[in-house]
Amino acid sequence: MKKLITIGLLISTLTGSSQVNTFLIARNTGQYPLYNGDTIRVFGFTERLKDEVNIPGPTLYYNEGDSVTIDLWNVSQGAPHTIHLHGLDVDQANDGVPHLSFDVAHMDHGFYRFKAPHAGTYLYHCHVVSTLHVQAGMYGLIIIRPPNGSFNTWAGGHAYHSEQNWMTSEVDTNWHKDGVLNHNHNIGGGIMRVEIPEYRPQHFLVNGLSEQQLTDSSTALLSSVNEEVYLRIANIGYYGNTFHFPSSYHARIVSSDGRPLPQLERSDSLRVFPGERYGVLLKAISEFIDSVALDYFNLNTAAVVNTQWIPAQVAGFFSTPELETTPLSVYPNPATDDIRINTSDFKPSNWQLMNAQGRLYNVTVNAVADGIYELNLAELAPGLYYLNAIGRNQIKGAAIIKK
Amino acid sequence: MKYVLSILLAAICWQLGMATNVQSRLFINRGQIEAIDSTQFAYLAFNNSSVFHRNNSLIRLQKGDSLIVKVINNDTVNHTFSCQGQLPITNALNPGDSATYRFYFNNAGLFIYSVSNPLMRYLGLGGMISVETKSHAHFFWNIKEHNKAWNDTIAKGYAVNWANYYPDFFLINGNSNPKINQDPVARVTAQVGDTIYICISNTGRSIHSLHLHGYHGTITYSSKFPSHQGREKDTFPLYPMESLIIRLIPDKPGKYPVHDHNLVAVTGGNYYPNGMFLTLLVQ
Repeated sequence: MKKLITIGLLISTLTGSSQVNTFLIARNTGQYPLYNGDTIRVFGFTERLKDEVNIPGPTLYYNEGDSVTIDLWNVSQGAPHTIHLHGLDVDQANDGVPHLSFDVAHMDHGFYRFKAPHAGTYLYHCHVVSTLHVQAGMYGLIIIRPPNGSFNTWAGGHAYHSEQNWMTSEVDTNWHKDGVLNHNHNIGGGIMRVEIPEYRPQHFLVNGLSEQQLTDSSTALLSSVNEEVYLRIANIGYYGNTFHFPSSYHARIVSSDGRPLPQLERSDSLRVFPGERYGVLLKAISEFIDSVALDYFNLNTAAVVNTQWIPAQVAGFFSTPELETTPLSVYPNPATDDIRINTSDFKPSNWQLMNAQGRLYNVTVNAVADGIYELNLAELAPGLYYLNAIGRNQIKGAAIIKK
Repeated sequence: MKYVLSILLAAICWQLGMATNVQSRLFINRGQIEAIDSTQFAYLAFNNSSVFHRNNSLIRLQKGDSLIVKVINNDTVNHTFSCQGQLPITNALNPGDSATYRFYFNNAGLFIYSVSNPLMRYLGLGGMISVETKSHAHFFWNIKEHNKAWNDTIAKGYAVNWANYYPDFFLINGNSNPKINQDPVARVTAQVGDTIYICISNTGRSIHSLHLHGYHGTITYSSKFPSHQGREKDTFPLYPMESLIIRLIPDKPGKYPVHDHNLVAVTGGNYYPNGMFLTLLVQ
């Protein structure tokens, strides 16, 4: 027996695979703030009871070959929930479709077991009245790395230095009202009558954020010259997306739906439809400040109904530790007049302010205390700006929204 | 006896790689179909008899075959027949008229036959011609969507504003979940390890993004993006008038859904799951 365990451990060590347990809680009573200050009711997944429901839910990371068990605890006080492991090609029992596998009633646990397949980008979402529950916020990303956990697109695939995930979706606030969310449900699935309003989204999200929120470091694309960035894109919305990358990124589309593409595709634009995932390698050979334009188009009319601008900045040189770009603390942000900049850990010798199109502005930054500076934005047009504080061995940057 | 001889001859010709003439009749019929919420609305379809049926006829050929098709206009308005990959036809068929067309198919693939008027196509007139080279099992999904009220409006000759198009009824081969699972042409039934081909044409106006549970499939044909051939995926977008062929080799048994991941399209008249949602059965 001892020998068997040793052999098992040895195999596990050699292959890098292991047993991984994930705990997720299904919730029906989240409150989610939108960029304009409005709050909507959401459903979602959290890892702890004390956590607020976030859109998207927690990103789940595994290595190829891992044996995974997801324990789903439903504390919805209402509808049953499931987890559909979108793209992982699990067996029927673990597929998360209520009438074909099982659903998890309020205060019950459900266990999903699978072996993490090909390295790639996948989704998870509830499949109970999926039209409503996905819109309500019950979704997240699953990222599977190669067996050794390396930063390669897949085992033996392209190596990269860093990765960024963009999960796109939309929000129609009318779908987040109690009258819609408190729908009929029957344990075991089957066809039922539910109130489903016309889908006319007013909010267009990347990682649950939109408009000025996209400057958040979880979404903004910040990298250095010669840094290979692997961008994982997943569309869980009901509209199509077109991404327009700055040509300086030399974008290469290398994978889709958890599989390598037969041929790498060089393109500065990429369309991603509901349920699809793509992997894109980005590498710049010079510094720049720009943005990735993301169109949301209606699948029935093909009309672009919204464009989001995701800040993109390449600053500093990768593998040159003395020239490092780190976030700059700025507040308030967004701002209308004065902003304060905290640089207590280094002393800037120069300042640089640019708009999203790269136009430079003459600015006067005044020191108001030790490590505290003030900049007046009153003369600037509303929009997105980038501020760099340049020190002797360091550049710190921040995206600023002028209201 | 005559029938048996014809089949034998066709089989021998196919084995020898010889082209055959395939004869078909397509009646343009007008009728009504019923949605899951019991509402009825106007519909048009190409059928192989003068009796209206909600599913358009499927035509299957071997590569190199000629199709000799007689089109009979059983409707009350003019129609001009059209076929992808063939020269355009200019002569309209008046109500009660018929015409015979001959088409050559030298390339394998999936082609949509229809009418030149997009409004009449929207009302349902769009079917599939499958030109095959392989003897494996094939399944066929002709996907469409409709705004039920608009079908009636257009059928009466009134205009609609397509900028506001919002479909509320979604079909595969003229049916929605769960009825579509009773259609042996659509419902994939296979054994583990079989090689099967799923042939999909989007004859509607919207873009649809079909997601396969349980398996990845390989694109072997794309009418719009030939460079996508060889891609292994679980989600397959289709533009209007686009056709795809997916090769699937199931590696495990089970019942797995396939559905549009624009999740509005898996509803119908406030019923869920309806619309573009069917279940594969692998034993």
